Amino acid sequence: MSAVALGYLDDRFAKAFLAPGEQITKRYPIIHRGTYVRTTAIDKLVNRFLAAQPEQRKQVVSLGAGSDTRFFRLMADEQGGSPKSKVTYHELDFEANANQKRSILRQSTELSECLRRAEQDGSFYHLHAIDLRDLTNKSPPIIPELNPALPTLLLSECCLCYLPPDAAASVLQYFTVNLPGSLALILYEPIRPFDAFGKTMVSNLASRGIHLQTLKRYSSLQAQRQRLRLAGFSGGQGARDVHQLYGHDEWVLQGERERIEKLEWLDEVEEWKLLASHYCVAWGCRGELFGEAWQGIDGSRTGEEDQDELR
Amino acid sequence: MSDFDKAIAQLRACRPIPEIQVRELCYKARELLIEEGNVVAVDAPVTICGDIHGQFHDLMELFRVGGDVPDTNYLFMGDFVDRGFYSLESFLLLLCLKVRYPDRITLIRGNHESRQITTVYGFYDECLRKYGSANVWRYCCDVFDYLALGALVMGAASELQGTDHAFVDPNAQATMPSADCDDLEIEILNQTGHIVSRFRRKDPPAPQPNDSQLSNPGSSPSQQPNHTPSRNGAPGTGATSSSRGSSSNAGASAVLCVHGGLSPLIDSIDKIRLLDRKQEVPHEGAMCDLLWSDPDEIEGWGLSPRGAGFLFGADIVKCFNHKNDLSLICRAHQLVMEGFKEMFDSTIVTVWSAPNYCYRCGNVAAILELGEWGANGGYAPRGNGDVGRSSGGGGGGGGNGVLAERVEQREGPGRRYRVFEAAPQDSRGMPAKKPVADYFL
Repeated sequence: MSAVALGYLDDRFAKAFLAPGEQITKRYPIIHRGTYVRTTAIDKLVNRFLAAQPEQRKQVVSLGAGSDTRFFRLMADEQGGSPKSKVTYHELDFEANANQKRSILRQSTELSECLRRAEQDGSFYHLHAIDLRDLTNKSPPIIPELNPALPTLLLSECCLCYLPPDAAASVLQYFTVNLPGSLALILYEPIRPFDAFGKTMVSNLASRGIHLQTLKRYSSLQAQRQRLRLAGFSGGQGARDVHQLYGHDEWVLQGERERIEKLEWLDEVEEWKLLASHYCVAWGCRGELFGEAWQGIDGSRTGEEDQDELR
Repeated sequence: MSDFDKAIAQLRACRPIPEIQVRELCYKARELLIEEGNVVAVDAPVTICGDIHGQFHDLMELFRVGGDVPDTNYLFMGDFVDRGFYSLESFLLLLCLKVRYPDRITLIRGNHESRQITTVYGFYDECLRKYGSANVWRYCCDVFDYLALGALVMGAASELQGTDHAFVDPNAQATMPSADCDDLEIEILNQTGHIVSRFRRKDPPAPQPNDSQLSNPGSSPSQQPNHTPSRNGAPGTGATSSSRGSSSNAGASAVLCVHGGLSPLIDSIDKIRLLDRKQEVPHEGAMCDLLWSDPDEIEGWGLSPRGAGFLFGADIVKCFNHKNDLSLICRAHQLVMEGFKEMFDSTIVTVWSAPNYCYRCGNVAAILELGEWGANGGYAPRGNGDVGRSSGGGGGGGGNGVLAERVEQREGPGRRYRVFEAAPQDSRGMPAKKPVADYFL
C-alpha cells in the first residue's frame, strides 16, 4: 500500500484493504522497490499468458491470495491494447482471510462494481476458503468451478514456502493431476538461506514465529528450476532473483528504472543488493500454450550462478 | 559531577535526556564545532569508526572493544543516526562526549546527518515518538550543519606494534609474523582481542606485466595469477601495500577521513577547506559528493546508483593521494560484510561499524586503530604541512620519486582492525525489545 501511495505501482484498489481510519504504514524505499519488482515481474508473466491465444478462456489459481488485487487490476487494465482472454480466477486462502476479503469486497463499491463489470464481460472471480493442506488428503475437497479443461496458471507468492516441503509438493501434485491440460506455476519465494544475510533472515523470521519450511530445500535459483521440473512443469523452467529482475531491461525498462529511482532517494544500495538477491521469481510450465506465451523470456542458469556455486 | 557527566551517565544507560538539556547540549556543541575547520586535524593514535546508525547497544560494544572515551581517542566518520532504534541516544551520547572531551573525540558529518534524509530513514520519527514534538530533531539538525566534513590524521606510525594476545587459531601463530617484527603492516583482532591474522609489508613485487592491473588480491575477484598466493590478505584486506623500497625512509604521511569519498570538484584538501559547510547537505556539488560518493572498480568517475555523489576509480584515488601527500583515505558509507575493505592497493579503506546492520544484514563490524609515530621507538614524523600543503601536479614533487607514468604511493600507516559482532541480546536490557527487521513477505 505504501508503494502505491508513493507512485511505485498503480493500484486504485489497494486502498479498499485499509481498515477505516487506518494510516498507511510507511515502509523503507528498498521494500517499495522490492514490491514494485515482484509485482511488475509477475504481472509480465501473467499478462503474456492472457495475451496468448486470446480467444481461449484461461484460468488462474492464486494460492494464499491474501489481499492481492491482481484480478481487479487485470480487469481494470483497459489501456493494455492487445486483446486478452476471458478469465476464470480462483483465490484460495484460509477461512479467516477469505471471510475478511469477502467482507471488504462487499463494502467497497469500487471492488463490487469491478466484479460486476467483469462478470458482464465473461470473467469470473471465485474466492475459496480452503486450507491448502487439505488438498494433500487422500480424498481432497473439490474446488468449486475449477475447470480442468482450461489452460491454468498457478500463482504462489510467498505461500507454498510456509508448508513442509512434502506438503508443498503434494499441493502442486493436486493440480498437476487434476488439471491435465496446459499448466504453469509462478513462485515468488525467498532463497539463499545459508549466507550471512540468509542465516540472519531465517533466525529473525523464526523469532517472529515465521518458519519458511521449503527454504532450505529450494535454496537456490537452480534448485527452484529443478523443483519445477520434477513437479511436472517439464515444458520449461526459469528463475531470476529480484536483483537480477530489477537490473534487466526485459523485466524493468530503463525508463521505468529511472522513474523509480527518482521517486525516493535510496541510500540502501548495498542492502538492496543483499535483500533483493534473497528473493526470486521462478516459473515453470507444460503445454504448448505456455511455450508460446512465455517464448523468449529467459530464466535459464546464468554465469553468476555458476560462480556462486564455486564459492 | 558536572551536568554533562550526569547526562553521559544517563545516556549510557540508553535513557534520553530532557528536551531542555538537549537544547543546552546542542548549543554548547555548536559553539565548539563552529571553531573547527572543514577538515579537522587529528593526531594519532586514533581509533577510526564508520557508520553507527542508531545501533546504541552495538556502539556500547564498540567502546568495550576499542576502549572508552577519554582513554581512547576516537574519530567517528558520520551516519550516527537513522535506521536503528536508538539514533537519539547514540547521537546525543557522542555529542555529550564531544562537549566533555573535545580533544578525545572527533565527529564528522555523514550523509544521514541531514534534514531530508532523517525524515525518510527514521531519526525524525524517533524524535517525535520520544519527545512528542520535533524540537529535539531541530536542535540536532542544527548541530549537523556544523559538523566538519573531513579529518586529517597526522603522525600515524607506518609500523605496527603487534599485540601480545593469543591467536584465535593456535596453529596460525607459527606461520604469522611475530608481534615485534619490524615491518608489520596489518593486524586483525576479534572482539575478545585475540589475533585473527597479521600481515607484513610485502617485499617490492616483481615488475608487473601490466601496470594498469593494480587490483589487490584481497578484494578483487580478478586475481592475477602471478601474485604470490601466500601473500593474499584476509577478507577485506589488501595486504599489502604496493611497490616501494625499504620501509625505513620516512613516517607515514597523513590519512584523510571522510564519510563518502572524493568529488570531481575537489582535487586538493585545501579545496575542501574553502567550502561553506554550514548548511543542509545540498543535492549536488562538492559537499554532497564528499558525503555520498563511493569507490568502485571503474576508471575515472561514474554515476552513483544512490542518485547523489559519484563513483570513483583507483586512478582517481591514487592521483588524489599523491597530490595531497596522503598515504590512505579512510571512509565509511558502504556496508561491508567483513567490517572493513581495503581497495586499490590499500590506498582507500571502507570501515563499517554497525554490526548486523538494521538487525538484518548478518555482517560484522570493524574499527581501525592507527598508532602513534615514535611510540614504538621510531623516528619523528615526516612533516605534513597542514594549511597550504604543496599542491604540485602529478608529475613532479615530493621525495617519493615519481615514475614517469605511474603515480607512486606513499607508504600506508600500520593498521590494526578490531572486528566485532552485534552486542548480545541480553546486553540490551529488560525488557529485551526484539527489533523487527523488514523483509519482502
